[in-house]
Amino acid sequence: MALPRWFPLARAEARRLLTSKGPWMLAILLVLWAYRPSYVGWDELGPNLTVGFIQIAGSVLLPLGVLLLSYRSIVAERSSGSLKFLLGLPLTRTDILVAKTLGRSAGIAIPVIGAVVVLVLAGGFRFGLFSPLRFGAVLLVTLLYVVTLVSIATAVSASTTSTVRATGILFGGFYLVLTVLWKPVASAIYSAASGHAVSAYDAPADGALFLLLRVSPERSYHIVTNWLLGVGNSGALFEPALTKLRTPTSINVYAVDAAFEPGSVPLYLHELSGLLVLLCWLIVPLGVARYRFERGDLV
Amino acid sequence: MAIETTNLTKRYGDTVALDGLDLSVERGEVYGFLGPNGAGKSTTINLLLNYIKPTSGTARVLGYDPWTDVVASHRRIGICPDRFSTYDGMSARQHLQLVIDTKNVDDDPERLLERVGLADAATRPAGEFSQGMEQRLALAMSLVGEPDLLILDEPFTGLDPHGVALVRDVVDAESDRGATVFFSSHVLGQVEVVCDRVGILHHGRLVEEGSLADFRDQLELSDDATIEDVFVELTSETVASPEESR
Repeated sequence: MALPRWFPLARAEARRLLTSKGPWMLAILLVLWAYRPSYVGWDELGPNLTVGFIQIAGSVLLPLGVLLLSYRSIVAERSSGSLKFLLGLPLTRTDILVAKTLGRSAGIAIPVIGAVVVLVLAGGFRFGLFSPLRFGAVLLVTLLYVVTLVSIATAVSASTTSTVRATGILFGGFYLVLTVLWKPVASAIYSAASGHAVSAYDAPADGALFLLLRVSPERSYHIVTNWLLGVGNSGALFEPALTKLRTPTSINVYAVDAAFEPGSVPLYLHELSGLLVLLCWLIVPLGVARYRFERGDLV
Repeated sequence: MAIETTNLTKRYGDTVALDGLDLSVERGEVYGFLGPNGAGKSTTINLLLNYIKPTSGTARVLGYDPWTDVVASHRRIGICPDRFSTYDGMSARQHLQLVIDTKNVDDDPERLLERVGLADAATRPAGEFSQGMEQRLALAMSLVGEPDLLILDEPFTGLDPHGVALVRDVVDAESDRGATVFFSSHVLGQVEVVCDRVGILHHGRLVEEGSLADFRDQLELSDDATIEDVFVELTSETVASPEESR
């Protein structure tokens, strides 16, 4: 089968990233950031605590790193003029978006896989053999999260004409609001809309609240990986989620299993809907960007 | 026809960058597209290459619609853009390899670099290149796959006299091979020796078109009049009656 025509560009993008320092710096930071043994983690997950480290690696730092490595991908080429070469190739503008997204994803995923290998070697050595199935599944979802983040950053980069605006949208909007601060923001939105102050210590069994919470790709990533780890239905990191669900301690964490009676959880709050949210974030922004990118003036 | 535009117009708000351009470039011709800065030369080229979309009008490039048949037309066009930048981290050879692989041809990057005098710099990252070297690299990239049409936007920019001679040689060689060459320039002296025909663009309109001999006859200039004289004669005429040029 012939390679798609965007393949050489995707390969060049990946190579450009892999021969630069950024992604490898990110990989080192991820290892240092994610290796965090905890009593509750060990008590509840046993050797699979090691797989949990991958989830920690995928949180806060990974999205920041991926956005930093991707937000300039098109907007900066537009202002420097190198985009003229790409537009001059026998490729559609959509081909260019696809090549950028997949090439960058590969260029970031490879160092991330390297970081994961180091993490699981260290964890496996300390805590014993973990479930290879859970490991494989969590790794796959983490890589899906990487591609999703690259796709969001590429979409914004392709839709704006200034690097400053791309920075504002991605870091001020997407990263700060939807990734870091989504729990208080969603709580505030829900409180304002329902007229009842809501608290994560004692959350109401309202599907709308929990649906709103998983709009954030970060929280959806946690929901899916918590499910794969056998932690429970929560958008928090596995350790606070375990503390909330498995210990008598009441903490400031939203968990579907803590709010709803067993058997009364609406179907749309199943953990798999988190996967659906990630796929939406992967496809919708890039689809909108494609529409704009295909039609506009690019120089 | 290699290039044919009908009533091609590009407006940015109230500003008319290109005003109803009718242009025909025959296959095999070397066509010089001349005009002062801001006349609309780059706008025309950007339109022909699908960098920007037209406000109105139509165009055909090698028989293709430049805005819908991008892949088919770009396969047969070599492009040397104006005000571009190369990739800092990629070597000259990697730049060429990307074009070769995307065009799906089996050219030798070394041979192309030799043609533009960059053989010694093949493995150096383009980030270290001078403006003239970048311009040569862009020229080499435009030659990949023996294109039927070369579109060179201000190809003499940033080049020393050796580089200027090189561009002329390349244009001659490509023309001998049978390629059509369409290039823009505001440096007039460099144009008349290579062009079969020139078009002069002013305020977004084609004000004159023909060979240098045609211009001499038409404007009753002496036989040793240069293209500079033609240019000054034509553009000052339109400046003198601005309502006509709009």
